[in-house]
Amino acid sequence: MTTKKLRQYKYDPDTFNRYRQERDYFNFLSGILATMPDSMSQLSKEITDITVERYDQIVRCAEEGKPFVAGYFCAAPEIYEAMGLPWYMIMATPFLAASAPYLTEDIDAAEAMGLGTDWCTACRLSLYYIEAGLTPKPWALIGLIHPCDAGNMLHQAVARNKKWRDVPIFASDPPYFEDQRGIDYYAGELRRMVAFLEEHTGAKLDLDKLREVCRETNKQYEILSEYTQLRRAHPCPHGWGVGGPQAFAATQVFQTGRPRGTKWLQQLYADAEERVKNKTGPVPKERIRYFWFDLLPFGWVFELMPWLEQEWGAVLVMEMFGLQPYTPIDLRNEETIFKGLAKRNLYDSPMIRQARGPADYFASDIARVVKDYDIDLVIWPGHMGHKDGSASTGIMREICQELKVPYIHIGLDLFDKRYTTPEECKDKLSKFFSAMGLG
Amino acid sequence: MQATKPRAVLCEAPPGKGESELSTKVKSKALKEFQEATQMLVNPALQRWKDQGGRVIGCYCSYVPEEVITAAGFVPFRMRGTGSAGTDMADTCVSSINCSFVRHSLDLGLRGEYSFLDGVVWVNSCDHVRRIYDHWKRKIDTPYLRLISLPKKVDEPQVEWFREEVSLFRESMKDHFGIFVSDERLWKAIKLHNETRRLQRQLYELRKRKNPPITGVETLAVMVAGTAMPREEYNKLLKELVDELSQSSAGHSDHRARIMLIGGILDDPAYIEVIESQGGLVVTDSMCFGTRIMWKDIDEKEKDPVTALARYYIADRPSCARMFGDQPRRSAFIKDMICEFNVDGVIAERLVMCDNWTGEQFMTGEDLKEAGIPYIRLDRDYINVGAGQLRTRVQAFLEMMGR
Ligand code: SF4
Ligand code: SF4
Repeated sequence: MTTKKLRQYKYDPDTFNRYRQERDYFNFLSGILATMPDSMSQLSKEITDITVERYDQIVRCAEEGKPFVAGYFCAAPEIYEAMGLPWYMIMATPFLAASAPYLTEDIDAAEAMGLGTDWCTACRLSLYYIEAGLTPKPWALIGLIHPCDAGNMLHQAVARNKKWRDVPIFASDPPYFEDQRGIDYYAGELRRMVAFLEEHTGAKLDLDKLREVCRETNKQYEILSEYTQLRRAHPCPHGWGVGGPQAFAATQVFQTGRPRGTKWLQQLYADAEERVKNKTGPVPKERIRYFWFDLLPFGWVFELMPWLEQEWGAVLVMEMFGLQPYTPIDLRNEETIFKGLAKRNLYDSPMIRQARGPADYFASDIARVVKDYDIDLVIWPGHMGHKDGSASTGIMREICQELKVPYIHIGLDLFDKRYTTPEECKDKLSKFFSAMGLG
Repeated sequence: MQATKPRAVLCEAPPGKGESELSTKVKSKALKEFQEATQMLVNPALQRWKDQGGRVIGCYCSYVPEEVITAAGFVPFRMRGTGSAGTDMADTCVSSINCSFVRHSLDLGLRGEYSFLDGVVWVNSCDHVRRIYDHWKRKIDTPYLRLISLPKKVDEPQVEWFREEVSLFRESMKDHFGIFVSDERLWKAIKLHNETRRLQRQLYELRKRKNPPITGVETLAVMVAGTAMPREEYNKLLKELVDELSQSSAGHSDHRARIMLIGGILDDPAYIEVIESQGGLVVTDSMCFGTRIMWKDIDEKEKDPVTALARYYIADRPSCARMFGDQPRRSAFIKDMICEFNVDGVIAERLVMCDNWTGEQFMTGEDLKEAGIPYIRLDRDYINVGAGQLRTRVQAFLEMMGR
């Protein structure tokens, strides 16, 4: 790799403290999980460990002046992996570490910056971390201008932010509909992204390496898809505690195309298979099988999800990040690989898939999951940032009516528990369960 | 914030020097027609058009290439929520975190108030508007519906993508209506729309005067009417108005400050009326019923009309907040406007729940703070102007500017 003529960022030891704190937080979680011998905790521990390793790697790169980038799970992480570029998400805190103790304080600080309160909290937080110098400054930034307006505006604001104005930024433009023309166009955008990364990091993309990464990811998604089939069982082998979100972290963030990630998925599968055989679920008696159609409420997940299980025997059978209809990448040549990456990242990737284009995905995903997973209840959390989803609530309700399955739209902030408190959520859900005769 | 003199910071010399203070307001027949057109959906000119068998196509965003619609011989009509009394029906489709424009205009659609339309065209403007398309498709019986995939960047590959989108749009008009929009028809429409833009810019030129002959309230009516009337008729009336105003020496002298307005969809003159009632004369804007749709022309020298349209919409015209990578140009545009129109302060309005304009307001605020320009951000509801609160905020803003 040549780094000649590339801009080098001066390392400031006082920056990205929050990032370091986050690494320590994950370390702490890992320590707790180490004391829990059950298989689900051990599966989670492995994910926590690989998370810590990535945080360490980014910190080291920053300290040693080595290239690293900021990117996204749905912006072809296969490419960063093949280029040997360590990467992290500027939305890491809200997406990965939102249960960390400092979150509320940071949300208030973001508000004090004058960022509108109806703007997605994940975006406000990310911009605040940059403004406050709490997040590592990358050599180059891959922005995300879909699936939502909030994300588009966040990346524009990051680009104009004084502290990061010298960080080169690129974002691939998303076509609206899903068709071959869209795939071809997006594949072109990904090629432009590669050229951008090569220019600004000095790293080069080797096609054989990319093929190797994609081959491994194909394996990963195959196992994941088999795993999701196991979740159809009664009782569902895993609940909210392990499954989709961790599989997402493995395949799309920390272990994209790496054998260790594949091995973890195999372990996840084996654990689920064993449970299906033994008819073991996360609760002694599964009474409600629900589909949580969004991210988990990462900011206060421990205050709601265990309650659902314990109080109502309600098991999360499927959620947005576990619902990954991945198409394998055709490895024949460069063109097929790029088109495969375009399809996977734009049309298959969770949340991007549902939110980017027309509302039909909301309707078809509900129909599929309700039927395949024998769902008793569809919960649309209605995160305050997900304006397009909440603007589809009528369509979701109607499809549930057709399927004769109860549907509830809560209205909350996945990160800030003060928006609708966990107690208010519980109250709303309890009343709904009772009214519907569930549980 | 300290009271500042923006032109001293940003601009070389204040324009409009040497004009006399006048306070006579022009009374114009054309203006009256325009004002009437903002107060209803189907204005008399549009009704006459319909009565003669003319077709009308609704457009949900200023990025819909209306020239294609004009070239097909139809009238493009910018969708509004004018006259909506509530959102009960729309509320069964969308939620309370969706913007009020979306709820009101969808409600009107669900109530059949848009049955005069022969089609509706969207682009994926924002997370809220693009969902109207999904509901419309399922619930409202309009014969022709189309959503054009609008890029979010302004570079060459995006121009090329949009060129194809415009071509496909033109083909779909043929498939549905049996009307082939030839290049020749397209060029004719482009010229006609450019003529509108030229006249609108002439009108804005007059607002540079020390005592502008037309208020912000009146100008908004002119601009809104331009999206709701048969084009030839509109241009004729607008020319009359521009001539009348150009020849008159009357103007508004009784204002405390010259204001620039920034934001998204603002089609209700009543909102500006409150600002102007406090002495803040709106002299220019960066709005989608304002400069953003007419400050630039479509290049008539381009070989292919579809390419000309694509380049205009994606790369040339002042962009909307949703266009990534173009914020510095938008900011520069605002600063140019401040200089050209001798603006004292900037008001940025947005509809509550709008992420695009939240982000943009924040960035513009930071840029104008750096440039020392008085700036205020206001949230509003689409139908309910909230006059009391707006008045108080505007008063405070004018006082803060020392006006
Ligand atoms: S609205 Fe959703 S997709 Fe957009 S930034 Fe927030 S969490 Fe992400
Ligand atoms: S105001 Fe914002 S949210 Fe509403 S339609 Fe316009 S861009 Fe969309």
